[in-house]
Amino acid sequence: MHAIATKSLFAVLLATTLAACSSKPTDDQSGDLQPGRAGSEVAPVSEQQPVQPQQSSIALTADNFHNHPSNYDGTTSSRVIYFAFDNSSVPAASFETLRAHANYLKGNSNAKVRLEGHADERGTREYNVALSERRAQSVEKFLRVQGVSAAQIEVVSYGEEKPAAYGSDEMSWAKNRRVELNYLSGRP
Amino acid sequence: MKAIIAVLIVFLSTGAKAQLMIQVTEGRVDAVPIAVVPFAVSGGSVPESVDQIIAANLHRSGQFRPLPPEDMLSRPARAEDVSYRDFRVLGTEYLVFGRVEALPTGAYRVSYELHDVPRGTRLISETYEPAVSQLRDVAHAISDRIYEQLTGVRGAFATRILYVTHNRGADFPFQLQYADADGARVQTVLRSREPIMSPSWSPDGKRVAYVSFEADGRPGIYIHELATMQRQLVSSFDGINGAPDWSPDGKRLALTLSRDGNPEIYMLEIASGQLTRLTNHYAIDTEPRWLPDGQSLVFTSSRGGGPQIYRLNIRDQSVRRISFEGSYNSNPAVTPDGRYLTYIHRRGNNFHVAVQDLQRQTFNIVTTTQQDESPSVAPNGSMIIYATKHGGKGVLQAVSVDGRIKVHLPSKEGEVREPSWSPFL
Repeated sequence: MHAIATKSLFAVLLATTLAACSSKPTDDQSGDLQPGRAGSEVAPVSEQQPVQPQQSSIALTADNFHNHPSNYDGTTSSRVIYFAFDNSSVPAASFETLRAHANYLKGNSNAKVRLEGHADERGTREYNVALSERRAQSVEKFLRVQGVSAAQIEVVSYGEEKPAAYGSDEMSWAKNRRVELNYLSGRP
Repeated sequence: MKAIIAVLIVFLSTGAKAQLMIQVTEGRVDAVPIAVVPFAVSGGSVPESVDQIIAANLHRSGQFRPLPPEDMLSRPARAEDVSYRDFRVLGTEYLVFGRVEALPTGAYRVSYELHDVPRGTRLISETYEPAVSQLRDVAHAISDRIYEQLTGVRGAFATRILYVTHNRGADFPFQLQYADADGARVQTVLRSREPIMSPSWSPDGKRVAYVSFEADGRPGIYIHELATMQRQLVSSFDGINGAPDWSPDGKRLALTLSRDGNPEIYMLEIASGQLTRLTNHYAIDTEPRWLPDGQSLVFTSSRGGGPQIYRLNIRDQSVRRISFEGSYNSNPAVTPDGRYLTYIHRRGNNFHVAVQDLQRQTFNIVTTTQQDESPSVAPNGSMIIYATKHGGKGVLQAVSVDGRIKVHLPSKEGEVREPSWSPFL
């Protein structure tokens, strides 16, 4: 196990991996120290690597769910960003989608988006609220780096209180580790 | 040595709205045999079975083994009717009997006695005159008296449990409710379309604090007076408003705010609204709980990597780590005497309630359930109530501080979570 030293925000954002972790400790137990750190074995994605193939032949699994191209269409129609287990960094597969949101927000100053952070059910509730705030803040940083005004972004964290999937299994947990982009005004 | 006494009794509370049932899944093998004789009824019907409530309370404590009434050789209602021999042959150590009389006023007269069977002596003889609505209170008060007489520890049967329910698909999926410690007499404090979290009792048991996301999905901390149902929004900053916990003097709340961009522990003076920041660290700090001295807090922090329990001295704001077993310990609570710290401990893929003896520094995992959260200690320190999953559903369980007694509280519908045990009322 090794942490990835991160120098730039871009590297932080890329330090997400399709391979994700193979162990199953709790959600994000230490994601606060280094935003790009994964819980276990990490295969870093290089900056040159194509971010998102149009069609993926990779099977969708709980481990790659957060970074699977099928979860993001690259437009503002995609409104959910998923996260690796034990991780609060924005997955590379979602970059194009988030750039589309950033461009939309920059072009529509009346639009306001709420970033709603969520965690899976493992671990204690208020701690999960804090963890899910980190995810929403990662998305916020991405949008801000793209030039979106802080006034157009609000962050709310719900922890494990509003799951998208109700099972107690790896795939349900993968679906619940997420940030939803909820337009409060000027919805695209 | 522990023994599994699987599902000895299922106690169904009698109230129509009752939602919680009680099963003792693991009791002490040396549980004390006691006979609670069905009380003689006169003067009219009595809507509550006082003796059954007492027997169920004593059973649920895990420390007593009530004799089934059908095994009793005689059923005395008065001291002159008692044949100790009838109970000695059954190995019964203590005997409770009594009478409930419906009075012309509409009230009731409840008399009972507690006897030591081997010695053939009377230990308690008392009479109460409750209104009909107070019959259960009297049954709990009698249970408390018997428990204290026989264990030397104050009983906690006349207390309440506050908790959050979740019924997916309902108009108001989230509800904040409280019930008697035996699950009866459910009262709803708040119903909401948005999450309700982290309920906490005031030390006088008259008010509760909680987090509600009712304001357009944004979190706020509310103080709610139970008698009047009046409430007050006391914290609604940007970011997290979470984890309120009432100080022992009732004047302050410890809480978590991320208004400066990062979750930190604060102290809120309720009367003045004055806010004092107590932690300052880039890691997560949350889940504060007061220690009984009112001078210090325990809380969860990820400043060492994963979450661990830390102790904070309010006066000088010094912080030191106090949990060291494993890589995940969170959501602390402390027994009323300050001796034991309980928290959620991860072992492998599972989350258990753990108890740490702060004097001897011993550490024990006290549950076998696997997705435990939200431990809360009874005001007499006897039991820890917590939330876990059972059959995919959120349920409440209780476990003794030494892990020897385990009680299951299944709900009839929906999820029950985040229990908070009231102070003595």
